[in-house]
Amino acid sequence: MSHSTEIDSKHAWDGGQSPFRLSYGKIMMWFFLVSDALTFGGLLCAYGFFRHKYAADWPKAEDVFTHFPFVEQHIPLAYVGLMTFILIMSSVTMVLAVEAGHRKDKKKVIVWMFWTIVGGATFVLSQAWEWYHFIVGTEHGAVGSVWDPELGKYVTQTIYGANMTINEYAVAVPQFANCFFFITGFHGFHVFSGVVINFIIFLNVINNTYEKRGHYEMVEKVGLYWHFVDLVWVFVFTFFYLL
Amino acid sequence: MSEFNDDYPAYEFMSQHSEEDGKKARRTLWNVFWVMLIITLVELVIGFMAPGQGWSGTTWLKFFFITLTIAKAAAIVWWFMHLGHEVSYFKYVILIPYTLLIGYAIFILLVEGTYFGKPENHTRVESTFVQQKKNLEAAHGAHGAAHSDAHAEEGHH
Repeated sequence: MSHSTEIDSKHAWDGGQSPFRLSYGKIMMWFFLVSDALTFGGLLCAYGFFRHKYAADWPKAEDVFTHFPFVEQHIPLAYVGLMTFILIMSSVTMVLAVEAGHRKDKKKVIVWMFWTIVGGATFVLSQAWEWYHFIVGTEHGAVGSVWDPELGKYVTQTIYGANMTINEYAVAVPQFANCFFFITGFHGFHVFSGVVINFIIFLNVINNTYEKRGHYEMVEKVGLYWHFVDLVWVFVFTFFYLL
Repeated sequence: MSEFNDDYPAYEFMSQHSEEDGKKARRTLWNVFWVMLIITLVELVIGFMAPGQGWSGTTWLKFFFITLTIAKAAAIVWWFMHLGHEVSYFKYVILIPYTLLIGYAIFILLVEGTYFGKPENHTRVESTFVQQKKNLEAAHGAHGAAHSDAHAEEGHH
């Protein structure tokens, strides 16, 4: 919050200092995040394109994502709401770890990073559970026609669950499952790698690496990445589950 | 701390702050969290109610959700990622290229999506799906009947 030196706009670009008042590593993390955000933006735009084209056959999210662990009844959107809460919560614990790092409070950094890792891991496991139910599908399934290469024609059969070529939620629109697998999968992979990176930094904090270095900027950098993961989920949540 | 053997100021230390500043920062962060939580709950409740009320898929509901999403995203970037407190040069460097490029992507999406959504502009790949629909119709009669989209396609072939 308290940036000691204000920027002198006349001499900002004269060299000898960063016009951004930021270290090299942090700037590069931001640039990476911009490019990664464009990748996700591209994926979501492609999703919007498919959805616009197959608007008539596109399924409603509240009919597809209705499962909740240990509950028999179907509650639409409840589980994904919980997942969203967990990820936002882990974003808060991350920013508190960063804040503790600014005060060089090693103990608090450890506590908050620990909870961030717990939240992130819970989210990844929740997503695995969601994928499992999406792939296995419902008990009743849906009737659709599938190409049988041996017979050389389409055969009508009941389809259960989803894969890359056909899914019971939208029999005529494989793009629905494709988008689900690609976008939530790509995001889930980001969460997974975020958890791994957070864990490495967590070990470094415990081993006094940043205490010796004099600053906790590495916590800030992984924090940026972690908030980005949360940021992407905010959009995925809206476009996939709410709209 | 000059990692690159130059005499740049050590920017890593500049974000460090005192105990009092930390208290203030934490209060702001928790406030941001509560606002985001409330927004998410509102979204969920409305999303849950929408089908019963006939709001599902209405344009105003979509814009409502997108507005709240952008508000949440802005809160994350501004306070959690601390962009709001960086110098203005840096804000521009991050926000302007992204806004331009994503604006372009959305423009292309809307223009091409509208063109491609018209049956007369469908590609040959489409015939696979039309065939699937026809098979369904043949097997089940009116059940799983094809939409007007497919009929337009039939006329085209």
